[in-house]
Amino acid sequence: MRSEYEIKAAYFYNFTQFVSWTPTPDSELPLRVCVLGENPFGDLLQPLAGRKSQGRTLELVNPEDLSTAAGCHVLFVSSSNLRNLPAVISMAEKGQMLTISELPGFVDAGGIIGYVKQGNIIRFEINLQAADAAGVSINSRLLELASRVIQ
Amino acid sequence: MKRWHWRYWPLKAKLLFLTLFTSTLGIVLVCASLIAVENQNYREQLESELHVIAGILAEQSAAALLFEDHEQLSSILSSLRKIETIKQACVFSASGTLMNSLYSSGDTDCPSLSEQPPVGFVGNYYRLSQPVTLYEDTVGYIYLISHLEVLKAHIQTFIFLAMGIGGLIQLILVFVAFRLQRLVSQPILELSRAAERISLAHDYTIRAPVYGKDELGRLGRTFNDMIGTIEQQNLRILESRDSLERTVEERTSQLSLANKELEAFSYSVSHDLRQPLRAIEGFGRALEEDCEDVLDDTGKDHLRRIRAASVRMAGLIDGLLVLSRVSRQPMESERLNLSEMLEEIAEELSDLSEPLPTELRIQPDIWVAGDGRMLRIAFQNLLENAWKYSAKESSRVIEVSATSDAGYITIAIQDNGVGFDMRYVDKLFVAFNRLHTPSEFGGTGIGLATVNRVILRHHGSISASSEVGKGARFAVCLPVPAADRLHSVESNS
Repeated sequence: MRSEYEIKAAYFYNFTQFVSWTPTPDSELPLRVCVLGENPFGDLLQPLAGRKSQGRTLELVNPEDLSTAAGCHVLFVSSSNLRNLPAVISMAEKGQMLTISELPGFVDAGGIIGYVKQGNIIRFEINLQAADAAGVSINSRLLELASRVIQ
Repeated sequence: MKRWHWRYWPLKAKLLFLTLFTSTLGIVLVCASLIAVENQNYREQLESELHVIAGILAEQSAAALLFEDHEQLSSILSSLRKIETIKQACVFSASGTLMNSLYSSGDTDCPSLSEQPPVGFVGNYYRLSQPVTLYEDTVGYIYLISHLEVLKAHIQTFIFLAMGIGGLIQLILVFVAFRLQRLVSQPILELSRAAERISLAHDYTIRAPVYGKDELGRLGRTFNDMIGTIEQQNLRILESRDSLERTVEERTSQLSLANKELEAFSYSVSHDLRQPLRAIEGFGRALEEDCEDVLDDTGKDHLRRIRAASVRMAGLIDGLLVLSRVSRQPMESERLNLSEMLEEIAEELSDLSEPLPTELRIQPDIWVAGDGRMLRIAFQNLLENAWKYSAKESSRVIEVSATSDAGYITIAIQDNGVGFDMRYVDKLFVAFNRLHTPSEFGGTGIGLATVNRVILRHHGSISASSEVGKGARFAVCLPVPAADRLHSVESNS
């Protein structure tokens, strides 16, 4: 059995494969994946560094705060950001970031993808409105798998 | 069984068989290749369809595989239920774990990916394994197994259809071949019929019908030319036969004319010549009697010579008459006891001639067939000769014996007389040839010619052999009629 965070880390990488940005960025540029706040994965995300998603090399960054999070493409919002969540979400929307978090109610708060636990199965919810606002389009295959989609 | 041998088949049947055999072979080959091609095509089609299905499945299930969403996989696989040919579908993760499957029950489990599962047409199924990829990463595998019942049913239907159409075409071809073989066999049959008619009726005016300019036409024309040549030759033969008959008739009439002339001649010889002879002889005798004292010795001698000559001439005339008679008179045929005949002749001879111790051995019961009178003349001559030419010996030994073989009987007459020189044997049987002077032995020179003529008319032959002073041997060979062979005398050599 894999641990919860192993699965979440795998999902984290998988999400990057089912989203695309408009306008399409240069595939030569690395895809910057940031973990904002305390990293709950430990070094589980390390294997992602250097892997390719949709032809772009993943680059792992662990920014201290929002100010240094500019230039991220995928932003994992850790539980430590619960208090300034609206600011994070609005900043991410401006920066066309795909926001992912395990915070409960994250998608209702305007996040794009949020992990949920159903029993001991890890699932996720998607806020399509938030994705559209951020200029992130989500592959319908991913939508089909989501346990809840906010249109 | 022999009747079924190829040689005994009529030409029509042969042609029909050959054409139908060829066409059947063609149809069978075409059907077989069509079926093979159809089978191949259908398989390829099935394969490509399944590959398309698997491709779509892979496309659809990639995300579900990544997120290990079994429900989603189940619903994706359920869409395969609409496709009847699918027997089983299995989805594996990239690590080879079975994620989900369709129609999988206890006895048909999904294969394990740890060893390479079978793919392609294996047994009664078609199997394929399709990797699920996402941006060149393999995220799982799909394994599909398909029934081949549909393929089999399709091919079966196709085979029936091909066989049905082939049979129909064959029926049409039978009909066509029936009509077409006549094109070839008809001229040949007519030619052979014409040949048969010609040979049966000997009618060389018949001609075979000629069709076209091919080899058969050439054959017909050549045949007709040949028959034409035969007809011409036949005409010539008939003409020459007619002319031959005419010639024979001419010759026959000439011959009969000559025969009549000969008869007239013989008649005149026998009468007209004898008349003056008798006058010469009579008046000679009268002269001898009446004028005896007037004539001196020389005159008397002349007169005697005249008379002797006239007597000899009478003998000659008689001989000629006999010769012409044996040549002309019609022959009768009867069975004769030659031994008895010879005994009679010998008795007459011994009465006539001067006594000389004579030993005569005649083999009894020699039977021959022929004309009695003629044979008597012949054997009379032969015996007379034997008698005459052995007259100067101290004692006379004459032996007559017969041997028979191969439908012939040979009668040998052996004497112990003066014999003759074998150098002149060719002249022996020719008229007026004499090997001895009249002073030695009297004779006309017609005797053996007459004998030869008689034996020839009996379809026999005569030969002579001798050494001077050691007697002569005359052998007469006569044919024995088939009915008399039983009576023929055994050789007693």
